[in-house]
Amino acid sequence: MAETTTIEGVTEAINRAAVEARSHGEPAWLAQRRAHAWSVYESLPLPTTRREEWRYTDLRRVLDLDALHLGSTEAGPDDPSSYPERLRATMNEDHEAAGHLVFIDGAVVHTDIRDDLASLGVILMPLRQAVREHPELVESHLATEAVPPEEGKFAALNAALWSDGVFLYVPRGVRLDNPVRVTRWISEAGAAFFSRTLIVAESTSQVSYVDEILSDDFDTQTLASAAVEVITRDGAQVQYVSLQRMGRGAFYQSKQRTLAGRDSTLDTLNVTLGASVSRVDLNARLMGPGANSDMLGLYFGDDDQHFDHNTSQDHEAPSARSDLLYKGALDGHARAAFRGIIRVHEGAQQTDAYQTNRNLLLSEHARADSLPNLEIEADDVKCSHGSTVGQLDDDHLFYLMSRGLSREKAERLVVVGFLGEVMSRLPLGGVVEKVTRAIAEKLRA
Amino acid sequence: MSTSPILKIENLHAKVADEDLEILKGVDLSLHEGEIHAIMGPNGSGKSTLAKVLAGHPGYEVTGGTATFKGEEILELEPDERSQAGIFLAFQYPVEIPGVSIANFLRTALQAHLEEGEELDLFDFQDLLLDRMKLLDMDPVFAERPVNDGFSGGEKKRNEILQMACLKPALALMDETDSGLDIDALKIVANGVNKLREENPEMTVLLITHYQRLLNYIKPDHVHVMVDGRIVRSGGPEVALQLEEEGYKDWTETEPAGA
Repeated sequence: MAETTTIEGVTEAINRAAVEARSHGEPAWLAQRRAHAWSVYESLPLPTTRREEWRYTDLRRVLDLDALHLGSTEAGPDDPSSYPERLRATMNEDHEAAGHLVFIDGAVVHTDIRDDLASLGVILMPLRQAVREHPELVESHLATEAVPPEEGKFAALNAALWSDGVFLYVPRGVRLDNPVRVTRWISEAGAAFFSRTLIVAESTSQVSYVDEILSDDFDTQTLASAAVEVITRDGAQVQYVSLQRMGRGAFYQSKQRTLAGRDSTLDTLNVTLGASVSRVDLNARLMGPGANSDMLGLYFGDDDQHFDHNTSQDHEAPSARSDLLYKGALDGHARAAFRGIIRVHEGAQQTDAYQTNRNLLLSEHARADSLPNLEIEADDVKCSHGSTVGQLDDDHLFYLMSRGLSREKAERLVVVGFLGEVMSRLPLGGVVEKVTRAIAEKLRA
Repeated sequence: MSTSPILKIENLHAKVADEDLEILKGVDLSLHEGEIHAIMGPNGSGKSTLAKVLAGHPGYEVTGGTATFKGEEILELEPDERSQAGIFLAFQYPVEIPGVSIANFLRTALQAHLEEGEELDLFDFQDLLLDRMKLLDMDPVFAERPVNDGFSGGEKKRNEILQMACLKPALALMDETDSGLDIDALKIVANGVNKLREENPEMTVLLITHYQRLLNYIKPDHVHVMVDGRIVRSGGPEVALQLEEEGYKDWTETEPAGA
């Protein structure tokens, strides 16, 4: 009898043959990388809740890999009038931009970049196209420095099966005054989508990047998996913003790593509002002296939404600063977990590292777990961490209602006020308004 | 009195919502428009509970009796509906709302007091807010601070008076507004209430207080003594002075007085 061993996560749709199909027509280096990533994937077990960083999300319970098929990668026509209504609505809110990329399901449907920026050498294009047109840049950065497959089960799966993504390259000294906007719409129920984002900001350049993913509700579980690599060279300034507004039935997973060079600024904002299950891993590596990272997060869950944020701040060089603030409000039976760690490596003297997670529970059935951590191997550092879980209680509501506010208006005021602190720290054109509106929409629902 | 009272409470009974603990055991009280009443009583007598029950606190359950405001039964109304009807409760312990400025809070509250479909004019609101702050000798910067967040006891109480000045209630219930204030803060707060009364003599005020000293600054027309969930004595300002001298001791063993 032939030996049958089942490998965790290998399914009728997700298997080596699928990886080989993806590799078709790709350069050898990429096909090899996919094959290698797949081997790593096969070798890793699906994380269990016994692993500290997966303590609050039981993948066996919340993700059914067997039921997923691979999402379509066929591009539809670039005809904005045929875009889904919500996609058009959110794009209309994006005013000034250095350039746009629009994805529907696994394929890019629109790309533009301002001519003056293109002539300065700024590259903004679908990752597949960049593989062909800029192999020298992509080969050296893609899944090498930031999110290699060895990072974990999802990182390996994404590296093996990614269908497309974004490549943004900003040459030395070039500064973009308007953000790059990427909008992704997922419509195919029961499918799995794997995308990658690779941002390389050369020294002293400057860029803001806003990624928004949306969908309607799904009857069957739909997976959107993202790997995000942000590489910021010496003295560059980068803002990376991710807005997740997917519908129910979606499983969203994002693995992000930021590499901050000497005297660079690398700020991130993760906004988690949608999907039934959302898992975001963010690792900020402060690699050069004087690097600076503000790490902001904002989440608002209701019904049975499950949000899990897992962050780490790696101080590998001296005199760097990182400041993390994640705030979330939870209504209904929603649940959030935050796990964060500050690691000050040996020799990273004069580190300033802070980490704060605050939660506001709007319902007695909502729950938040918070696990801040510190690992310090240097002696001249300033570090702090803290977390709170507070309750919007009867006294709060009564106070506001006694001034004439309805229960809904009272909740809305408290939530917007509570989350507003995060937005005030990253004032980026259009984003604050967009997120405030999205929160208000959710409060009305 | 020939006119009907603005607030009429009859045989009001209330208990703590989740417990079998009756606190109000048959309160009768009538307030006419423009009057200032004070309810005094020892700790645990139920005087603060009365204020909260009248404003609709969900922590209490009315088990009997009635309360009418301008002739309408109010005990079934939500707290926001009572506010919109013209009842204001100045809290003993105002709640903190981080991230929400006083100005934003007041704008939202005033908007909620308008009819459906009516829009609060932002310039009118700014004018009103500045006017109210001027009346109360407050620095306009105060309105930019988050509601009660990190406020001193005195600041919290002044914020209550500012909200009252903006909402212009027909009936102000003031729950131990004097507690935790030093004499200077007490004077400022009392002064604010007096100014609002001067401006609007029709405003009816119900002061809940443990101490006589507040009544040196806000002069009541009627003083009631509450003990063990009932009004046991009602009279003029002299009742407060008598309490100051004799304390509550004599009252705690007295049968309910029959008005």
